[in-house]
Amino acid sequence: MANGRDCAARWYAVMGLLPAVLMASMAVASEPVSFNRDIRPIMSDTCFHCHGNDAGTREAGLRLDVREAALGETAGGVVPIVPGDPDSSAIIRRIFDTDDPMPPDSAHKPLSKEQKELFRRWVAEGAIYEPHWAYAPLSRPALPAGFETVHPIDAFIQARLAAKGLEPAPAAPPHVLTRRLALDLTGLPPAAVLPAGDGSLADAALVDALLASPHFGERMAVWWLDIARFADTVGFHGDQNQRIFPYRDYVINAFNTNKRFDDFTREQLAGDLLPNPTPEQLVATGYNRLNMMTREGGAQPKEYLAKYGAERVRSVAAAWFGSTFGCAECHDHKFDPISARDFYELQAFFADVKQWGVYSHYGYTPEPELRGFDNEHPFPPELQVESPWLKKRHDGLQKRLDDEIAATARRLAADPAAQAAQTEWERRVGAFLQSHAEGWLPVTPTETRITKNGEPLPDRVAKVSPSQAVSSGKPLGGGEVIEIVTSLEGIQALSAVRLTADIATVEPDERAAIAGSRLTLALAIHPAEGKPRPVGLLAGEATVRRPVYRSGFEVPGLTSEWRLPFELPEGVSPVATWLTDPVVLAPGERLVATIGGDGKLPVQIALSPLGAAEPALVAAATDRAALAAATARSPEQAARATAAFFLSTAFDRAAFDRVHALAKELDGLFGGRTWTLITEAAANPLAVRVLPRGNWQDESGPVVLPATPGFLPGRIESTAERRLTRLDLANWLVSDVNPITPRAVMNRLWSVFFGTALSAAVDDLGSQGELPSHPQLLDWLACEFRDSGWDIQHMIRLIVTSHTYRQSSMLQPAALAIDPANRLLASQNPRRLEAEFVRDNALAIAGILNLEDIGGPSVKPYQPAGYYEALQFPNRDYMADADERQWRRGVYSHWQRTFLHPMLANFDAPARDECAAARTLSNTPQQALTLLNDPIFVEAARKFAERLLADSSPHDDAGRIRLAYRLALNREPREAEATSLASFLAAQREAFAAAPADAEKLLAVGHAPRPDFDSVEHAAWAQLARVLLNTQEVITRY
Amino acid sequence: MTLLDPLAIARRSFLHQSAYGLGGMALAMLGRKTSAAAIAPPGDTPLPRPDDWSGSLAQPHFPVKAKRVIFLCMAGGPSQFETFDWKPALKELDGKPFPESFTKGQQLAQLQNAVLKARGSFVGFQKHGQAGIEVSDLFPHLAGQADRLCVIRSMQTEQINHDTAHAFMNTGSIIKGRPSMGSWLLYGLGSASDNLPGFIVLTSSGKNGPQPISARQWSAGVLPSRFQGIMFQSKGDAVHYIGSPPGVCQSTQRQVVEEVARLNGLLGKEQNDPEIATRIAQYEMAFRMQSSVPELTDFSGETQETLDLYGVKEPGDGSFASNCLLARRLAERGVRMIQLYHRAWDHHSNIEPGMQEGAAAVDKPSAALLEDLARRGLLDDTLVLWGGEFGRTPMGQGSGRDHHILSFSVFLAGGGSKPGTTWGTTDELGYRAVDDVVSVHDLHATMLALLGIDHHRLTTKFQGLDVRLTGIAGKVVKGIMA
Repeated sequence: MANGRDCAARWYAVMGLLPAVLMASMAVASEPVSFNRDIRPIMSDTCFHCHGNDAGTREAGLRLDVREAALGETAGGVVPIVPGDPDSSAIIRRIFDTDDPMPPDSAHKPLSKEQKELFRRWVAEGAIYEPHWAYAPLSRPALPAGFETVHPIDAFIQARLAAKGLEPAPAAPPHVLTRRLALDLTGLPPAAVLPAGDGSLADAALVDALLASPHFGERMAVWWLDIARFADTVGFHGDQNQRIFPYRDYVINAFNTNKRFDDFTREQLAGDLLPNPTPEQLVATGYNRLNMMTREGGAQPKEYLAKYGAERVRSVAAAWFGSTFGCAECHDHKFDPISARDFYELQAFFADVKQWGVYSHYGYTPEPELRGFDNEHPFPPELQVESPWLKKRHDGLQKRLDDEIAATARRLAADPAAQAAQTEWERRVGAFLQSHAEGWLPVTPTETRITKNGEPLPDRVAKVSPSQAVSSGKPLGGGEVIEIVTSLEGIQALSAVRLTADIATVEPDERAAIAGSRLTLALAIHPAEGKPRPVGLLAGEATVRRPVYRSGFEVPGLTSEWRLPFELPEGVSPVATWLTDPVVLAPGERLVATIGGDGKLPVQIALSPLGAAEPALVAAATDRAALAAATARSPEQAARATAAFFLSTAFDRAAFDRVHALAKELDGLFGGRTWTLITEAAANPLAVRVLPRGNWQDESGPVVLPATPGFLPGRIESTAERRLTRLDLANWLVSDVNPITPRAVMNRLWSVFFGTALSAAVDDLGSQGELPSHPQLLDWLACEFRDSGWDIQHMIRLIVTSHTYRQSSMLQPAALAIDPANRLLASQNPRRLEAEFVRDNALAIAGILNLEDIGGPSVKPYQPAGYYEALQFPNRDYMADADERQWRRGVYSHWQRTFLHPMLANFDAPARDECAAARTLSNTPQQALTLLNDPIFVEAARKFAERLLADSSPHDDAGRIRLAYRLALNREPREAEATSLASFLAAQREAFAAAPADAEKLLAVGHAPRPDFDSVEHAAWAQLARVLLNTQEVITRY
Repeated sequence: MTLLDPLAIARRSFLHQSAYGLGGMALAMLGRKTSAAAIAPPGDTPLPRPDDWSGSLAQPHFPVKAKRVIFLCMAGGPSQFETFDWKPALKELDGKPFPESFTKGQQLAQLQNAVLKARGSFVGFQKHGQAGIEVSDLFPHLAGQADRLCVIRSMQTEQINHDTAHAFMNTGSIIKGRPSMGSWLLYGLGSASDNLPGFIVLTSSGKNGPQPISARQWSAGVLPSRFQGIMFQSKGDAVHYIGSPPGVCQSTQRQVVEEVARLNGLLGKEQNDPEIATRIAQYEMAFRMQSSVPELTDFSGETQETLDLYGVKEPGDGSFASNCLLARRLAERGVRMIQLYHRAWDHHSNIEPGMQEGAAAVDKPSAALLEDLARRGLLDDTLVLWGGEFGRTPMGQGSGRDHHILSFSVFLAGGGSKPGTTWGTTDELGYRAVDDVVSVHDLHATMLALLGIDHHRLTTKFQGLDVRLTGIAGKVVKGIMA
């Protein structure tokens, strides 16, 4: 039998049915067969497809996944299993039947001789079933005997090792461990994240410092954002932008503040249902909105709502159950006890999440709430919230704007020529304000006409009301405009213009025709003789308007177009104000205002000689007061008067332009506020039916109400009186009765620090998944997580302070011989950095990583031209950021689902179409090309070289190479490395000395400024830096 | 009873045997023609191919008829009524109400709730070749290849919108993360190219009726990313990051690559980590690609006769014609899956100019590709698929046609497909495929069979399931195999 055991062990190792580590613990003659360890994996793979949970495909009425069923007589009169009596058991007979075996040959799943023997023994021993490990109630296992006094993680790991006669590896050297901790906890090299020169932090203090770093949250967010399928675009068809970055910042902040995982769960799934939800809790509900969405013409809302609903079940199940529910959309799960009903009952929890199946108001499927939507529009419901990053930027810009105005006023106050001009201007404006105290001259039209393509339309007559409001009579058609001519008597300069939609004069039944209409404005000055001069519109704003969007983002203010809202305000006339390029008017000149659009509005026009930094501030009361107080001005009023002077006249054109450029940028920051997708509960949840075969058009299935899956303990169900909510689901997930969430989360967290999870298939803790390598450790961790108050940082601290984590990553040959995948963890595992950290690490080594800012809108790294060519609706222009945003961390990269940034994609970042619980870590030529040639890595090398050359401490090449190794790898170079690099450097110097123009070209890569170094020397070191940044060691955490 | 299923070993080992998860150590050890340990830092001796994943299939399941696939994807969904499905009865009904008996209860796209009127073909059809295959007058060059074509007029799909229909046509599923056809081929058969990616995607578009496409359509999904398609760019470098940085010539780039290999080799002596050897090999492959891609896209060796055959005006101009010529060059170099998208076929309106423009752009180059492959003896083992993600309605939509899933036409050529064949029929108005219906899964199953693969047995484990290209369906259509 010993021989049989070896064969079986080898077979399992080859088949991988069980991790190699379990080999020696597998059934030996002296110990009983274990259902979970030995039998369930085989049954799941070979029997359950036809004899499992799915009644729809069950054959011969035979069911083997439930003991009671397997022991009973089938309709065909056979008894599948007779405990203790293999020879009377039908399944044993069939398994050994060579003529008509089970599984049948057509299944291509033959059983080995050893597997058959296992089955026979299992039946002989009583056919004992065990509940599936992941669904079984959770209780804290005792530490292994003899290991009670060591670190609990080490106790479980080392007990297994000892049983195999193996020893854990020694601790990694301090420099390796420091780098490992820094990369694992912050995604950054030690030099970037730890206080300078402080390699001496005691181990515990080092961990504390890293956990306290704001970059810890950025690192952990990458982990969760894959699970939450966070992206900047909607994913289907036109893959338009969606506004959601505050959710990403919420996640970063949650890890940084060590938000309890139970709260984290409740806020994301049901923050809107909490009592008096905070903006933060509402932002968190963006989670429910991160499913892909469509705006494709011809798509049916109902079909897509079904797709969204199904996706949500898959993603929630993957995130909180670590389980795959996908199959149950169409049929009962074959291998796990998940029924189609479970699937739709889980979906029903989310039936109140308000969203549209197709985000447009198409003729074939009207969605009145989305009236006016086009491909530039966002994806409501959304909430406007403050973003700390935007607010900081806004406040900084506001200060720069204020400073620019004040500095200009001071300069002009000291300039005699400017003072003379100001005095003359004040005299004229003073006179104007005498007769127009509010600062505005209402226009009386001298002539009105309706034209098309410059030709008057004789049968169309504009109407002028007693209030001097002009209307087109009937709505303007394509290309039609009203031209309003007026004399300019009484005003000597023009700096602003105002349109008032005089809705007071409109009959109530005409309001509907006006609501939602668009107005365009163009102005020209017509001299008595000669060519008209067009008047430029600098900026505009309105009291009410429909926002204009470009690629999902609101365009600030007004362009030359004003869109009225579909719901007009009551009793107040909407007003739009534009700043014009200041114009000095000559006697006899006339103004022609050309108004187009699709309305028939009565509009009044008013003009002002006063300018301002922003349209809303034209003729502000404080300005008028300052100007009126000509002889007794406070210093503040004096400055204000000078500012009004130059902002009205553009006296100092350069300063004027600077002010307006700053004001325009400021406008785009919306006061530091932004919109973000949230969950809004619909009053009437959609009816959710079991869809036979997942077919959304088949309405024959029963309507279901929210309930937790029947196969898990502590099921909660809706009743006729009370429909369960998302909050009930969230509370249940983090309640003591649910064993699977803490197991799933701890299993995934383990993989962050060891490369492989305890149960390697992190997205399938079901019966087709893998029994954990250390089941008791996983249960211990799950209990500790729950009992600690769902404390993520506590669990991470526990993991990284274990010897198991801290041991050397030198794979141990002796251990590998019996445990080739290192599942016993006789050493740490080396692990290539994830895509974002490949970038972060290189930029940090180069000293150009932007670590100042946390959060904010997603950024655009350099990207190959034309990459978005196949994107439409709307067409996309990709403009790489040219300021400090270019060097931000990878977690902030713009995440385009259909065309993920090539660097991220090449290093295995998922597109995040759906929950991605685990990343593959491949090793490809595309990765080599990226590190060698992507401009961001070339620029990083150039800046890394600068850092080496600028440092004054190393005096020679050898010293600089040592510095390079300390920065890049936190260690000294080995002699062979230093020698090799020195000769490489010499060769590069020679090459660039012979071709100095090449050096210039290399050093011109990237937006980062370039200091005045000798270019041949600089280029040679940049090449050396490229070599280092391309090494396996730099992109791997050992 | 058979021995161990080699596929099962491969896929399970992927998942379970690696400390790195998918694509990591397991790949370093598995499926290689040479062991990773044999790869040393570069020296004078030629290196073994670093990326020589020989495929998960130790042996083909069926006789191998095709070694590679060229998929000419007419993105947007060209009308079968103006290409290959001649319907005189529909022509007679032109402009009249479309009989409700055909359409009742069926899913429509933009024509939902609209009054339905028949739209007959605006072009004539003739029978061509010895086989008498009906081809519309818009495609005279393809008509000239009639005896090489295997036209399937009885295609059906399940998805009526572009995005999901492309996903279905490429991956056999609309669930995200399913590998595309090309990725399956690479996974199953490995690459046959020493210095090019094994799965390459080219795109072009017309002015009339372009629709967006997504990199998801050539994604490896749950398979390791090494099996993903590589999209060639029409602007700048053909492959992302294929060009050395400015100021770095081939010789200094070579020095960088060698120095990286040297340092990695030194690391390998200190650190027992199989990824190091793989990394060294991948840098070598990357460097070779840096030379081979420019050589590939340099058409200066092509004769004027060849350029004229395809109708290439400006080599490398990103046109469908230029891409077809590039496809032949890729086929010659052993690329396993070559996919061309021409985005020009979504003719909800203006179908007449739209089809004319589309046909003018693709007819000649598509025919030239077949001719050129045949001349070079490559058509025998190259399977060409021409078609869209769905078809169009026999009902008009203004001046065009809406999306349609119950009938559409594609053709196969070469690679063991049955030449000079018309397969399947639609009803008299072309609304629904009625005889010898071919589902997308059936098409996939048949294509895999021509490549020597039993579609039931090309699987990978994901979330506890045996995922495959054909889902749980698909039957091989013997009648379209030679």
